[in-house]
Amino acid sequence: MKNTMNRFVFVSAATIIGIAMVMVFVFLGKQTTGPITGALDALGNKVIEVEQDYLLSKREPIRSKELAWFQKYRNNIELLKNPDTIFLGVYENTYEESFNNIITFDHNLQNTLPFIQIYTAWGDKPREEFPLVYAKTIYDLGSIPIITWEPWLNDFNREKHNLPVVEDPNIGGMAAVARGDYDFYIEEWAKDVKDFKNNIFIRLGHEMNDPYRYPWGPQNNEPHDFIAAWKHVVDKFKEVGANNVVWVWAPHPAYLKYGEYYPGDDYVDWIGIGALNYGTAASWSKWWTFDEIYGNYYDWLDMLNKPMMITEMGSLKVGGSRETWFKEAISDLPKKYPRLNALVFFNDSDDKTTLNKTLDWSIVKDTVVCTTINNAIISSW
Amino acid sequence: MTARKKRYSELWKTWEAGDVTNSRRFFFLILVIAGIISIVLFFDWWFHSDHVASLPLFVLLSLITWWGIIRLILIWVNYLGVKKPVSVLAEPGLKVAIFTTSSPGEPLSMFDKTLEACANINYPHTTYLLDDTQDPAFKKVAEKHGAVWLELVGLPGAKAGKVNKALSMIDEDFVLIMDPDHIPFPNFLDEVLGFFKDEKVGFVQVSQAYYNQYRSFTARGAAEQTYTFYGPTMMGMNGYGTSVAIGANCTFRKSALDSIGGHGIGLAEDLITSIRLHAKGWKSVFNPVVVSRGLVPEDFGSFCKQQLKWSRGVFEVLFSELPRLSKSLTMWQRISYLAISTYYLVGVTTFLYVSIPFMYFWGGWLPAKMDFAEFLINGSPIILIALLVYLYVQRWLSHSPSERGLHWRGMVLKFATWPVFFLGAMLAVVNADIPYIPTAKKAVKGLSPYTRPLIFQLVLFILTLGYVIYDRLYIASEGILILTSQRVWGMFAFASVSIIMVIGGIYAAYESRNLEAEEPWENIDLTSIDTSKELK
Repeated sequence: MKNTMNRFVFVSAATIIGIAMVMVFVFLGKQTTGPITGALDALGNKVIEVEQDYLLSKREPIRSKELAWFQKYRNNIELLKNPDTIFLGVYENTYEESFNNIITFDHNLQNTLPFIQIYTAWGDKPREEFPLVYAKTIYDLGSIPIITWEPWLNDFNREKHNLPVVEDPNIGGMAAVARGDYDFYIEEWAKDVKDFKNNIFIRLGHEMNDPYRYPWGPQNNEPHDFIAAWKHVVDKFKEVGANNVVWVWAPHPAYLKYGEYYPGDDYVDWIGIGALNYGTAASWSKWWTFDEIYGNYYDWLDMLNKPMMITEMGSLKVGGSRETWFKEAISDLPKKYPRLNALVFFNDSDDKTTLNKTLDWSIVKDTVVCTTINNAIISSW
Repeated sequence: MTARKKRYSELWKTWEAGDVTNSRRFFFLILVIAGIISIVLFFDWWFHSDHVASLPLFVLLSLITWWGIIRLILIWVNYLGVKKPVSVLAEPGLKVAIFTTSSPGEPLSMFDKTLEACANINYPHTTYLLDDTQDPAFKKVAEKHGAVWLELVGLPGAKAGKVNKALSMIDEDFVLIMDPDHIPFPNFLDEVLGFFKDEKVGFVQVSQAYYNQYRSFTARGAAEQTYTFYGPTMMGMNGYGTSVAIGANCTFRKSALDSIGGHGIGLAEDLITSIRLHAKGWKSVFNPVVVSRGLVPEDFGSFCKQQLKWSRGVFEVLFSELPRLSKSLTMWQRISYLAISTYYLVGVTTFLYVSIPFMYFWGGWLPAKMDFAEFLINGSPIILIALLVYLYVQRWLSHSPSERGLHWRGMVLKFATWPVFFLGAMLAVVNADIPYIPTAKKAVKGLSPYTRPLIFQLVLFILTLGYVIYDRLYIASEGILILTSQRVWGMFAFASVSIIMVIGGIYAAYESRNLEAEEPWENIDLTSIDTSKELK
């Protein structure tokens, strides 16, 4: 090819066809993300199953044996919805790596915790699917998972799902959920929950009445939209046949209008409330006791006639005595709050979500606080 | 005729690589462009901070992965240059010598056949037997076939030493250095000499082919490893003016050899000779034609010895020749010699690759946190295009009927011999010698010591499996079991890939034990060699 023009045409044509070839690959890659990922997921889950069947089942279980008493609750959804005792639980922020800290907490509290809470956001990413591996681990350890399911709507590939491309999908997001825009995701999740077969708690869209915090709150949505979205999700689960869910409705009582967000007795199984004492860590906070945070709202919440759970219980150290805080909170708790059926300790050693600094709520390794809690339980429950 | 016999008789036909047409180059260019874009996309995906589990290990993993990918790009760029030389009729009346060397321990009957085949070569020439066996029988065999017998005993530098001494004793202008285990076809010189019409051409290399590859797994694998090289790879190098004298049967212009003070000496003497000739400005030609067939190592031990010799030797080009000669080379020659002389670093990269699962199981070190599905989606276009390229360039194999295929035996053998390459690289770094070991011409009995690293890997794998099962049954905390299940067994799957290769290597070594010694040249019927070219 002596002619420069010919060479140019030759190379450009090859370049264009080459680019087209890659575009086809990219297109196929996008199209097949579902099946390939699905097949690999299935394979990964099979690996866990096979190992459990052939290897781990030969192990002498320790923790689940200690929780033998809890099995009658765990396996009976009616009893879970109408409990006759108080359950302790924990969220611990290193759970994705290991549940060893939770086992340490058991030892320090001298109490094996039947509830373990984890968090999952909505979205397309693998980590936003139903967290099967963690749910399995929690079951294997004898506990039951409480999954806090956060409807962030900005993590979906909108074009792929034929959703209207908007600047902020969270604005009016609850109405969109209620409309069925996100059914592709909800149904997938519900199917996974159904396939899991074991009972779980789901705390959906918590603190929905806090106007400063989460995008599913009042800054983007009307209360009736939240209620419609909640009902839509619960109905979808029922439709799919995922009847193994205990639904936890968890408002933030300090923002008084929580009553407007209640989806109704048929759609809610438990009431969840956060009880976090920020002490003097933030400019807007002061040292609040447990009774101040929770007790003031107990009477109204009690009227809903549902079991109650402290879903995030913790105190920082600044501004008072953490030991005293826990001692006062735990002492005589069943007498003061007969409808309170669960306490879930909030053990986040690395909380960056509220303030622009890292907060340490962790009491896992604080043996003094753990002993205090244990003593208060033994002497007054 | 049985299929095997038919296939065998196919080997004794003159054959050449497919033509390089514009449409073939066009399709190939498309593949390369698609491949390079895929690599750019993979690059963009690979280097993400959330992929890093342990920074030093991630750097290491990235180095070995991208070292491999850069070499892949290099080979593609090389294929872009494929050029088949236009054959030139040899002028009559050239003075041509054929050298073949014999050393103590080499079988006499082999020389009987080779010298007979040399005598059958059409173009007038003189055959010389460069002999240091001190065995009168060799002299007799030489005389039987009209070859000149030169007794050259006690010269340093083994084969090349004898060649240099003989060069000073002859008055021919062209020298074909023939490996004694190779059977040249009668038309050998006709395919070579014409290119010397160009006064600047210093040497002409033809394809290297074999006739004993069906004897064993090792022989098959070893042959498979060379097919692509003596086809599209060397044709690409020919296009860039970088084709080298390598392996066997290179024809030199004597004045070219004289200009660099004779044939190079060392474990990679051919390559050293090439780089020196290129640095002196001599041109080289690669003619992708099969006009001789020789032996490939049949047993695992001989194969490893040969590989150790090469892997150690080739680094000398990197350390001794390239720095000195680099300024006299063209850019493509520099790139080419750099690529060839670092080829055996594959021993080091494979070592690191093989170590990854064991580092995880025994040390808890994890190099990368990558979603396996994402890895597949981003990496598979590269793998697919690399495979398409590999198959596409097979039209330029020198003997495509017997050489086409996926060459999986070659891959198994290449992977399983990483300890040999690793040793070669290490010896080069500390500048230590390995004794000159001639490649065995016949099968050798017994399980080769080169099998030990493979058995060690297999034992380590089994011990690790046992340890992990024990750990997960009795020791590991309940709090991590299910969480680590996929990672642990995923790592075992990763390690199994290596272990399958290792088992392939052990099989090759085991099979070598039972290989019946045979003198494969005995069955060759020289009169049946077909010198008419099959044109495609």
